[in-house]
Amino acid sequence: MNTKSNASIRATVMSLLGERGVTQVADIEPLFSSGLLDSVAATEVLLALETDFGVDLSDEDFDITHIDTLASLEHFVASRTPA
Amino acid sequence: MANDNIASGFFRSSVAYGDRLFYSDASRNVSYGEMGVTVRRLAGHVSQKGRPRRVGILATRSFEAYAGILAAGFAGGAYVPINLKWPESRIVTLLGLMELDALIADVNGTSLLTPDVLAAAPDCIVIADAAKRPEVVRNSQSIVHFNEIEAEPLSQPMQVEADDLAYIIFTSGTTGLPKGVMISAGSLANYLAESRSWTALTPDDRLAETCDVTFDLTVHNLFLCVEAGASLHILSSLEMMAPGRFVRAREITVWMSVPTLIAMMRRNGSLKPGIFPSLRLSIFCGEPLPVAAAEAWAAATPNGVVENIYGPTEGTVICMRQRFTSPPVETKGRGILAIGKPYDSMEIAILDSEQQVLPEGQAGEIALSGPQLAIGYLGAPEQTADRFRNLRGKRWYLTGDLGLRDETGTYHHLGRTDNQVKVKGNRIELEEVEAHLRKAADTDVVAVIAWPVVDGSAQGLIGFCCSDKSDSEIEAAMLQSLPRYMVPSEIRIRNSLPVNINGKVDRRALFQQLEEAAQTTATGPARPDAAE
Repeated sequence: MNTKSNASIRATVMSLLGERGVTQVADIEPLFSSGLLDSVAATEVLLALETDFGVDLSDEDFDITHIDTLASLEHFVASRTPA
Repeated sequence: MANDNIASGFFRSSVAYGDRLFYSDASRNVSYGEMGVTVRRLAGHVSQKGRPRRVGILATRSFEAYAGILAAGFAGGAYVPINLKWPESRIVTLLGLMELDALIADVNGTSLLTPDVLAAAPDCIVIADAAKRPEVVRNSQSIVHFNEIEAEPLSQPMQVEADDLAYIIFTSGTTGLPKGVMISAGSLANYLAESRSWTALTPDDRLAETCDVTFDLTVHNLFLCVEAGASLHILSSLEMMAPGRFVRAREITVWMSVPTLIAMMRRNGSLKPGIFPSLRLSIFCGEPLPVAAAEAWAAATPNGVVENIYGPTEGTVICMRQRFTSPPVETKGRGILAIGKPYDSMEIAILDSEQQVLPEGQAGEIALSGPQLAIGYLGAPEQTADRFRNLRGKRWYLTGDLGLRDETGTYHHLGRTDNQVKVKGNRIELEEVEAHLRKAADTDVVAVIAWPVVDGSAQGLIGFCCSDKSDSEIEAAMLQSLPRYMVPSEIRIRNSLPVNINGKVDRRALFQQLEEAAQTTATGPARPDAAE
């Protein structure tokens, strides 16, 4: 399940990385805390989560550190998206 | 005699509150006692050839950044934060200006230590334990990890005089390079004495740190926190994007940030009434604070007060403040909170273009005088003379901010007299960006516009130029010499740019074009890429 969703959130991140000259990243490598991606890119990822995956960002306990690696981001999307 | 050492307060707390938490980030908790040991060892290491003059901090939002700042101060030196977002060529150029005796780097900072940067760096370099050690570029240079320091720890803070340099913080300049604002230990001591009374921190306070150490709001948080024995909780740049969970989980009591953060939380609906019961004091600075934003934040913090503060880096962090009240003290016709009344020791004047004092109610340039004024700009006597003037027997700093004093003695901020803008809290001189655009586009005809503007705050930059090069080529060239937040999100290439009556590129006309294009194409909120 959710392979399509995961493929596209991965594609979103890879395209943001591509714009910054990065072509490869490990699934567990930090994206934001390492400085690979900046806050502008984080805004793009959040926008994608909200509009494409229906994640409710108005939850005051939303844990944004979920988006710091591809692995945790995909896991997060899978847990939030109806099968 | 009095010692103005900026680490004195920390030293006292490291003795009095050894077991209490000082520093906390996502991966690490450090007590005052532990930090005291690290700071004394690091201070000893950077003092091996005598009292250091300046210590570079190639680090931010990290244990090493704070250890470096406190150790530089403890050893009697000034600290100089280096922005990790600066490209290599800018770091090299500015290292040449800084005349550092030592450099402290965290993991991210160490990754910037390329051979060119190392060639411009001082001999004494200390890096985070988890960082991979780069090769030194000369025999006299030494790079050690924090845990490899063998020097005798300094036992107490060095004697420091009021005139001694405390720190240098860089802000955007008009010439293509940032300006280093030099603040003395005496100015900082005055600032802390003024700010202590209204922040009233205790060892039970938990402060959230939202800023990088290159921004002087961190001066406020760090030095008031350590003298009180309170704890400092560092948000990662990612947590800044959705800070609700951080504040709630850590039961933060004191918050300080740019107002952009409120706008972000309001936009996604997460700033709900009552969600931050632990906050007793929230401070906003760096941009106009919209009344609606202050109201929403106040509703989210039912047990706290909201303060709007004002001040340029050149006046040591802040020198005016306005509490959010009901009804609010508003700046007429702008929907923003007033900037309030000055600190007792600081004098404010509103000046006309000939630096004559204007009467109440008239708009002019805000000027500051008093013990918090900076020494000047590093290595830039002409720029210093231009902004720091002796007028009628006193030294004044001309802020470039437009303002007025109303009949109650309250000051209001009305924008800028020049082309400086704040984009998400970052102070940017449009001329500086234009200088780099001119070079990258290989043309004299350029303009940079801060756009769109939401709630009085610029959200981004748009560059215009006449050039044979492509927008992507120009962007790539600009990224070589400017940090990303200063590179326009979009470069628009035109055959010609509108000019005003003096033949200068007409920024106002370009701004109008952007506004009109956005209105005709979009019904939703304006986004930089939605226009054209």
